[in-house]
Amino acid sequence: MKEFLLNIDRRIIFIFVALGVIIPALTSFNLPINPTPNVQSIYDTIEEVGKENGTVLISFDYGPGSMPEVQPMALSVLRHCFKRNVKVVGMCLWPQGVGLAQQAFDTTSKELDAEYGSDYVFLGFKTGFQSVVVSMGHDFHGTFPQDLPGNNTTELPVTKNIKGLADFDYVLCLAAGNTPDGIWIPFGQERYKFKFGLGCTAVMAPDQFPYLQSGQMNGMMGGLAGAAEYETLVQASGTATEGMRPQSVVHLIIIFFIILGNVMYFLYGRPKGGTQ
Amino acid sequence: MLFLRRTLPLIIAFAVGLIGILVFYIPHSGAQSLEYELTKWDRIVAAFALALGIYSLMRLHWGRVRRQQAGWAYSFLVFVGFTVMFIFAIYNDGHGPFNPQVADSGPFVWMFNNVQVPADATMFSILAFFIASAAYRTFRARTPEAAILLVSAIIVMIGRVPIGGLISDSIPELSQWLMAVPNLAAKRGILLGVSLGIVATSLRIIFGIERSYLGGGEE
Repeated sequence: MKEFLLNIDRRIIFIFVALGVIIPALTSFNLPINPTPNVQSIYDTIEEVGKENGTVLISFDYGPGSMPEVQPMALSVLRHCFKRNVKVVGMCLWPQGVGLAQQAFDTTSKELDAEYGSDYVFLGFKTGFQSVVVSMGHDFHGTFPQDLPGNNTTELPVTKNIKGLADFDYVLCLAAGNTPDGIWIPFGQERYKFKFGLGCTAVMAPDQFPYLQSGQMNGMMGGLAGAAEYETLVQASGTATEGMRPQSVVHLIIIFFIILGNVMYFLYGRPKGGTQ
Repeated sequence: MLFLRRTLPLIIAFAVGLIGILVFYIPHSGAQSLEYELTKWDRIVAAFALALGIYSLMRLHWGRVRRQQAGWAYSFLVFVGFTVMFIFAIYNDGHGPFNPQVADSGPFVWMFNNVQVPADATMFSILAFFIASAAYRTFRARTPEAAILLVSAIIVMIGRVPIGGLISDSIPELSQWLMAVPNLAAKRGILLGVSLGIVATSLRIIFGIERSYLGGGEE
């Protein structure tokens, strides 16, 4: 028994994690979700932009691997924007973001009767990372002469008055890589001084706190928890809110195994026979 | 040949690197126009680099298929996946390659939504299982520093999910404090160090001291 607890087979841990995901996902119990100040700040900014009938730029810089965490943020923010008559311009610095952004626009525009061209525009992907951002700061229409379906951006109601990045009332980056701290902040926000917010995967969130404190970023949604907080604020419960149940249980399971591992380690020392 | 292989790339790196830095800080309209022009060049180079990347990937996997190395069937699948997606991208839902990309219908979008999205999401979700197993095996309070890290990690893990607030209101607050104060201080220190390293490496490349990007071929 002692040896077993010192070196639990990983398949047993996998079964616990699987049950920790499946059972809470199939049952319905509600957990209280309290928005943190960082998420509230993004919500408040979009409310302010809505009062001025302003325009938000959303950069969809993530792929299918991070879709479960970041896509609920995209859906919630788009719902919020369309409800408050905030015009949205979408773009991607990651090629895989195009399909996911299109899905998010299709879903939310149908739900809230948002019209392409007058309520939102999708520019698609452009290669070049920092060059795209610097170029957009100089000349928006020169960088994106056409949107994804091939319309001229100088003629679309949402984009015709945008000359550069500074003309956006808010820029929100939904990211799963280094585009916020590697590209949007040093080459965009720091030069063109627009308000900047971030939605990112949980693993990225700790790296972004210096930019929050410096004011280069005014808000952040971190991981599925951040997405669930935004869903709570816009009062549209979705996959992130539902995901909080399995995530809470799995966190408790992991903590249980960490504590068990440490208790056994201090009682009986290092396990013999290596790991399985 | 030596001039083309070594001297010319060094001259280009020096000139473009120096101009790139200078125009970033000079607000004069001439400098700004030059910077805008350089971003266009960079995007064109990036597009060619993409083509070069595809060639490199295909060459690598073709070598594995040809030699029938262990796991060569996976390399063969790279060709199948690439060819299928390439044909669907050219087909562009019947609009052809010279029209804007159709992003809401067609076989390319279908393959993305029904193959790449679930496959990628599945790969990522497997992490949860391995993290749980790895945390049990390796997260041990062997030293006082490891014990502090362990306690902090447990507080953040509970504080970042709603169940933490149910246990006590102070757990999410403590979790937020850990992220916004000690974590921030450590991250800022690392960030400053990394940034200074990037500046130093960039200057070494611009002034031709660091030449590994030229490749390791014979001179």
